[in-house]
Amino acid sequence: MQAVVLKGYKNGYELILEPTASFSEIKIELGELMEKLHNDESADRTEKYSFNINTGQLLYTAEQKQELENIFANYPRFSIHKIQSSVIERQEAQEIFDTTTVHVDGDIIRNGQDKLIQGDLLFLGTLHEGGILRATGSIFVLGTANGILCAGHENNTRAVLAGNLSNAQQLRIADLVDVVNEDEEIASTEKMSALFVNDLHALALTQIEELKVKRPKLFIKAGGF
Amino acid sequence: MGKAVVITSGKGGVGKTTTTANLGTALALMDKKVCLVDLDIGLRNLDVVLGLDNRIIYDIVDVAEGRAKLPQALIKDKRFNDKLFLLPAAQNADKTSLNPDQVVKIVDELKSDFDYVFLDCPAGIEQGFMNAVAGADNAIVVSTPEISAVRDADRVVGLLEQQSLDKPPMLVINRIRKNMMNEGNMMDVDEITRHLSIELIGIVFDEDEVIATSNKGEPIVLYEKNPAAQGYRDIARRLEGETVPLMSLQEPKKNGFFKRIGAWFKKDK
Repeated sequence: MQAVVLKGYKNGYELILEPTASFSEIKIELGELMEKLHNDESADRTEKYSFNINTGQLLYTAEQKQELENIFANYPRFSIHKIQSSVIERQEAQEIFDTTTVHVDGDIIRNGQDKLIQGDLLFLGTLHEGGILRATGSIFVLGTANGILCAGHENNTRAVLAGNLSNAQQLRIADLVDVVNEDEEIASTEKMSALFVNDLHALALTQIEELKVKRPKLFIKAGGF
Repeated sequence: MGKAVVITSGKGGVGKTTTTANLGTALALMDKKVCLVDLDIGLRNLDVVLGLDNRIIYDIVDVAEGRAKLPQALIKDKRFNDKLFLLPAAQNADKTSLNPDQVVKIVDELKSDFDYVFLDCPAGIEQGFMNAVAGADNAIVVSTPEISAVRDADRVVGLLEQQSLDKPPMLVINRIRKNMMNEGNMMDVDEITRHLSIELIGIVFDEDEVIATSNKGEPIVLYEKNPAAQGYRDIARRLEGETVPLMSLQEPKKNGFFKRIGAWFKKDK
């Protein structure tokens, strides 16, 4: 079984490092392969080649990647374009999952409690006066919000707040804050509405139907045919 | 093995100590063995309300620090046939002189001897609160129909939910003034219960006698006819698992002679 396989494609070359082979084996074979390519007389000696390295179902550590770089360093005509793999770390996967899913929450958030959700949130619970509900993404309120809603936690100005926002104490998106009872427009809008950060970096209220125009990317996640 | 119930509120002055004294007395009158533990270190007053203040020799800090054995510190209320005991708080120590582990140890010891151990929590949510909650299996949150008390109760319920209690906290709404509530000038019982979304275990009316009797060192429950006493007795029965309807908020109507005659001619009333 070969530990290193070279494949040529229309747009470049790929080196497949067999995930079941040991790293020392791979290093030896890669060195031999490079040597062979370097000495190949039929090839154009002046052309430079850049390889995509594919490690399959293995993740290489930074040291391993450095060792691969060291092998390539001996051959100025060859270089690594990128090292990729078909797997990712659990933590990274969780982060991707968190930030791309709409989470559903039905809890009661009481006075003095502070809840942070990674990603977007569909809120069906009750947010009491003095409670803070934060999401790094958008918050869609179907439950009751009497406390502080904070979307786009950590400065995501693309996040929105949607639902009946008129009973909340404060509405925050990224670094912007709106005190609801000092804001006639929001306090008097009993029906569903949406709050977003406009081009002037100010909070603006809009009809929920307008959200599709203001933030089209929110809707890409939905499936369907 | 009895159960330990913490009585707390967040806000001060809503009637934690009064509730503790009266629930304890009501249960003692129902033939349950009850121990009341005052955890308001430095500002004890459960002993005063019960009229036991002049008999304190040792207190809970003495027990925690090993200067006294638990039975030595317990004060028996002679009115209730060995049914009601008090473990008083220390007067000359501060709240940090007790830690949750010590409270848990004392409460565990008490639970093996008593049916109910009531922990009278100090106001606030600091160390004293943490001490009281650490020892508890259940919690009763006392609130009055005022926005400030309800907000603090909400905060406290949130903190209690993070503790490992056997079941969600129960709510007592204290100091209800019927006329104000009926006129809509006070928060409604249903409104408060729905807002806090915890089980309502009883309501207690605001009666002048509550203060008058506790000044004499007698809990109001000893005066059976008093509506506040009725409220506390109902709570005690509900703690024992009985189903007792809530007391009516309607004022008894005292109609005059002509009104009564007039009522005969009114169809829909």
